[in-house]
Amino acid sequence: MALQLRRDYLNQQVLERLSTLQLHARLPMIGNVSGKHRSPIRGSSLEFAEYRKYVPGDDTRRLDWRAYARNDRYYIKEFEADTNLRMCLIVDTSGSMGFAHTPSAATEGDPDMSKLDYARRIAGTLAYIAALQGDAVGLYCAGETFHKEIPPKRSATHLGTVLDELGAIEASGETGLADVLHETAERVPQRALIVVISDLFIEPATVRNCFEHLRFRKHDVAVFHLMEQSELDFEFDRPIRFVDMEGGEPILADPTVIGVQYRRAMETYLESMNEVIRDTEVDYHRTCIHENYGDVLARFLLGRTPKKRK
Amino acid sequence: MSFLQPLVLIALPLMALPVLIHLINQQRHRTIPWAAMMFLMSAKRMSKGMARLRHLLILLMRVLAVGALIFAVSRPLSGGWLGSVGLSKPDATLILLDRSASMEMQDLQAGESKRSTALKRLAELLAQGDYGTHLILIDSASGQMQEVDSPKALLNLPVTSATATSANIPAMLETALAYLKANESGRTEIWICSDLKENDWDVHSGRWNAIRQAFAELQGVHHFLLAYTDPPSSNLSVRVENVQRWQRGSTAELVLDVMVRRTDGSTGVQQLPIEFEVNNVRSVVEVELDALGASLQGHRIPVDGKLNAGWGAVSLPGDANPLDNKFFFVFSEPPVRQAVIVSDDTKVGEAFRRALAIPMDNRLKHRVDVIPANRVAEIDWESTALLVWQAALPRGLVAEQISHFVNSGRVAMFFPPGPGAAGEQLFDSQWGTWHSSGSDTVSKLAWWRGDADILAHVESGDALPLNELRTYRYRALESPGTPLARFDDDAPLLTRVVTDHGAVYFCSTLPTAQFSSLERDGVVFYVMLQRALTEGSLALAVASQRDAGINVLADREEWTSVAPEEDTASLSEIGLHAGVYQEETHWVAVNRSQAEDRATTSSVDAVDALFDGLSYRRIDVDVGDTSALASELWRIFLIAMALALILEAALSLPSKKTESSPLMDLAPADGTAD
Repeated sequence: MALQLRRDYLNQQVLERLSTLQLHARLPMIGNVSGKHRSPIRGSSLEFAEYRKYVPGDDTRRLDWRAYARNDRYYIKEFEADTNLRMCLIVDTSGSMGFAHTPSAATEGDPDMSKLDYARRIAGTLAYIAALQGDAVGLYCAGETFHKEIPPKRSATHLGTVLDELGAIEASGETGLADVLHETAERVPQRALIVVISDLFIEPATVRNCFEHLRFRKHDVAVFHLMEQSELDFEFDRPIRFVDMEGGEPILADPTVIGVQYRRAMETYLESMNEVIRDTEVDYHRTCIHENYGDVLARFLLGRTPKKRK
Repeated sequence: MSFLQPLVLIALPLMALPVLIHLINQQRHRTIPWAAMMFLMSAKRMSKGMARLRHLLILLMRVLAVGALIFAVSRPLSGGWLGSVGLSKPDATLILLDRSASMEMQDLQAGESKRSTALKRLAELLAQGDYGTHLILIDSASGQMQEVDSPKALLNLPVTSATATSANIPAMLETALAYLKANESGRTEIWICSDLKENDWDVHSGRWNAIRQAFAELQGVHHFLLAYTDPPSSNLSVRVENVQRWQRGSTAELVLDVMVRRTDGSTGVQQLPIEFEVNNVRSVVEVELDALGASLQGHRIPVDGKLNAGWGAVSLPGDANPLDNKFFFVFSEPPVRQAVIVSDDTKVGEAFRRALAIPMDNRLKHRVDVIPANRVAEIDWESTALLVWQAALPRGLVAEQISHFVNSGRVAMFFPPGPGAAGEQLFDSQWGTWHSSGSDTVSKLAWWRGDADILAHVESGDALPLNELRTYRYRALESPGTPLARFDDDAPLLTRVVTDHGAVYFCSTLPTAQFSSLERDGVVFYVMLQRALTEGSLALAVASQRDAGINVLADREEWTSVAPEEDTASLSEIGLHAGVYQEETHWVAVNRSQAEDRATTSSVDAVDALFDGLSYRRIDVDVGDTSALASELWRIFLIAMALALILEAALSLPSKKTESSPLMDLAPADGTAD
């Protein structure tokens, strides 16, 4: 029963709706079992890959005699290898992820939903979908350091562990996302799908370094950049004492005075982030936490579906 | 700046209201947890410059708007000169109005004179403000005080109308001073409206020191001088210097000397028509006008031989000052110039007779009688023009007769009686002892007054040969009179005693050779006596010219106005306006004084110096400029408030917030997967 309670963030309707979609990797993955994802290694699947010239030592059973009859040359016929996927969910659990501004009537979603709640739903649903299609799922919680580290595994029990852990995480402390991402890049030994769910309140240059590091390690990187609408609008009409959710000094400010500067700073940041995304080629999704996360995930999954070859 | 509702200014501290609201608002902050602190800190850093300045400007605009509103409600009045007075209202306001002829100088375009301009502006100013419980008018023509009901009434009062008189500003201030002392007025404003004419102000008079000192002792008296300091505009004035009627058989003619004075300073020569009107007959003579003006000497106008007396006028075409374009004159047969010499000394009496028996003009009739002192009762006082008294000073009835004689405008000259017969005191004067010079020395004159009176220089400007006069014996005189000539030892030779009418002279020596060289040298003696006789004869003439003034015609009820016909002066105004008046057989022509025709004005520095140490402010105004001396400024403050609010609104506008930036759109951004 307690386990059920910790997984109540998952919405059955969303799971059912998304179960028809598959999670694809954008890059070839190296797995340890057969799966639904492309591998850089040639294998024995039915998917033709390419012809290559015969070299001594090749298995003669793989010679294409028809090609030999047409060209009088020896060709080896190679097929794609299908393998499974290792998905590492990196959830930012710094204090800022606990931000939950009361939305206006015009916005959708749960009024009390924090960014961490939203991240929990995204990560849990993705984990469920990945496990459903036989992929390994791991969870890394990024506070000031690794709060929790669950390496990817394929078993159903392991999925339960991941979902339970997701239900238990809380937002606190300063962010250590940059260090966590660097460390993840080094710790995950083979190609994996790295899904980062964070508000990314760190300098764009630092983010760039992290993403470049992950890409260098041949990981497929997907980012859910969670934001709250009031953080963008900054529409307040009275002086406010802003308490830093990550433990810094509070700031007393009049939004009517500094509103313009705030929005200008935010705009500059977002512009820089766009450049980072463009340069590092990560799968970036800027998301408002008042948006239905089912729609967000559907868009994410559909965006990763490989286009059919003509 | 002054205010019609100064109490509203108590609300001025409300200007701090926007600042207070801002501070209270700052204190009423709420606390919220916030994630995006990095942007907040960045915004705080950026807002230290222009944004903070903008915010301060917004606060300043709000403060100014509240201030402007308070000032507008307090109904401020313009005029920096009112600022020094303060905000308290006066207990009384005194207006000293110069009604002299020169104040009628007009701005031809506006059709307003200096006097009317000053009255309008002052009435408007006082009507706007609070002039206290008493509004007192002191006009220069009457010199009297009059309480005025309201400032607007100033424009219609007879005592503020134009006159041909001259002003006496020191006397008006003395009247004001007497009022302030008698009423013990508190805060008082004294408004003087004048064109600073030299003769009106008499800045060199010794009276000013006393006036200044007396005002300095009073508290809360503020002087405002509404001064016309601009140079005189183009103006011509006409004056009849002399008019004589000569009979030739059955016909007669008038001989006039006419002077036209020009004050515009231009040098162009032009023809000027002068119109003469005598006995309803008009004639025009053209004269050539030069830089200074024109002079028409000995102009003859034939008149009916049976017309023994009458009046006429000389007119110029209209110009800036209509009051000096016409000059009235009266004429009559010249009277018999009768002189009576009272002397017991036959030799001395004969010396006087010889000097008076030779008339200056052969056409004038004259008569000289020498009688001893014991036959004084035989004197025909009514027809005598000059009394020469060389005997002991009389007393009793004779003394009274002589006083009456002088008060009726005639001249009395007293010479010392022989040794031992000093006589009584007359005209506060009394003969003393005889002084004799040594055998080798004679008394010479050290000083005499040559600019006026009977020892004045001749018309050519040459002085009388008084320096050649030798005096061997003279008699001391105890008199409060003014010396006209003094010996080396400061003893007076000739003294004039001040009287309201006529003239009284005391000469301290005798003309015979035993006493002086008066008879032997002759010229001085002759001129002196003839001038005295001429002066006395003027009082005998049926017709006379007088300067306009409140007391120019005694017994006003008996005088009737003859000219101008269209302007019948009220009884109180008789003598104040130019015109001709008649009383039975006597004619008087009243005109402005000669000083009014002169363009000389006192320098503003000299006038300002008269008020040294007093609360004083001079306001220079132009003729015809009837713009308000002080106008309400509330509109300006309301406009200022509106501007401040508009500026505040403009500064408060969110500069680019409403522009939706694509970067701020939280629609899903495309990743690189595409």
